[in-house]
Amino acid sequence: VRPRLIAMQPWAATAARLALGAVWIAAGAAKAADLAASVRAVRAYRLLPESVVPPLGAALPFVEVALGLLLIAGLGTRLLGAVSGLLLVVFVAGLASAWARGLRIECGCFGGGGDVARGAAPGYGGEIARDSALLVVAAFLVWAPRSRWSVDTLVAR
Amino acid sequence: VTGKPREIAARRLARQRAAERRRTALIVAAVALVVLVAAAVVGVGVYHAQTGSPARVIVPRGGTSTGIVVGKPGATVTVDVYLDFLCPHCRAFEQASGPTLDRFVAAGTVRVVYHPVAFLDPSSTTRYSTRASAASACAADAGVFPAYLRALYVDQPPEGSAALSDTQLIALGRQVGATSPDFAQCVTSGRYRAWTAAVTDAASRAGVGGTPTVLVAGKPVDPPTTDALTAAIQTAARGG
Repeated sequence: VRPRLIAMQPWAATAARLALGAVWIAAGAAKAADLAASVRAVRAYRLLPESVVPPLGAALPFVEVALGLLLIAGLGTRLLGAVSGLLLVVFVAGLASAWARGLRIECGCFGGGGDVARGAAPGYGGEIARDSALLVVAAFLVWAPRSRWSVDTLVAR
Repeated sequence: VTGKPREIAARRLARQRAAERRRTALIVAAVALVVLVAAAVVGVGVYHAQTGSPARVIVPRGGTSTGIVVGKPGATVTVDVYLDFLCPHCRAFEQASGPTLDRFVAAGTVRVVYHPVAFLDPSSTTRYSTRASAASACAADAGVFPAYLRALYVDQPPEGSAALSDTQLIALGRQVGATSPDFAQCVTSGRYRAWTAAVTDAASRAGVGGTPTVLVAGKPVDPPTTDALTAAIQTAARGG
């Protein structure tokens, strides 16, 4: 069983790369389509000083798309896994904090964001669960970044 | 460490290979990091190019860069209404409490500052929130903002649809008395879209995230029922 598992690892890492990359691209592209909304979504968490809100809200969507493209190319997989994990930890912390403070905001994870409409309930639990699952995928890539179909293995020859 | 010369050579070669691989991995990681930083810089640049300078925003008649003011000059109580023309709860608020507000305005007690924000642009396929807000500024120029606001809520399109076209927005204006070609031109050219963006941004900075948000003398009335609104206005009018 052992050797077979080891043989499977590069394929599992490839799947992890492609899945995580696709999520980043989808999330980033949706936000990049309306940067003003992305800035408002960051502001709605009421965690950061106003001076850093616009640059962060504007940069984040593009960084997410770049992360996704690099992951799919497999260029610097271990670093990308670490950066992905770091971002996800920050997102989970932000969501948990908003939940704890009783803020009624939408996460803005895939664009939009800001406060939810009156009467609608924000889905903090589901969003935290999703980000935590992605965090496991990111951690796997840090632990075992070797994968098929990647620039990393191409240049390592 | 001892061994035959061939083994020593093989070990040295393996060490060299490992060092090379580490260096390659480091360079690749550096390249990835540079790409990520570049993406962040691009994002900030695009945002600045899109928002431009607030000095260039054209303000409609009777308006400011954050909203449109309705009321008599001597009014003592200011009511702020943050609304989105696509938001069903804003429609419910307008239809329930609009007449009450109008009475206070007519009596000269209240001036209402309407802030038509575009929070719900992703909820239509045509950025209806922005287009309707900009059209309402055109109606302010034509002197029919309050009637146009009511008309937009009577004909409110459902969320997720293509909503009303610019032609329909112009026809609604004509119904309430905005018959000039300038109104039509104002709507089709999107003259006040930058103003809508400024209004939306100002609302977000003021801590308003959801619509409707109603403030009486700066204090939120939540939930904004007609009774709570009336009570808050009466308290504020007494100077309380």
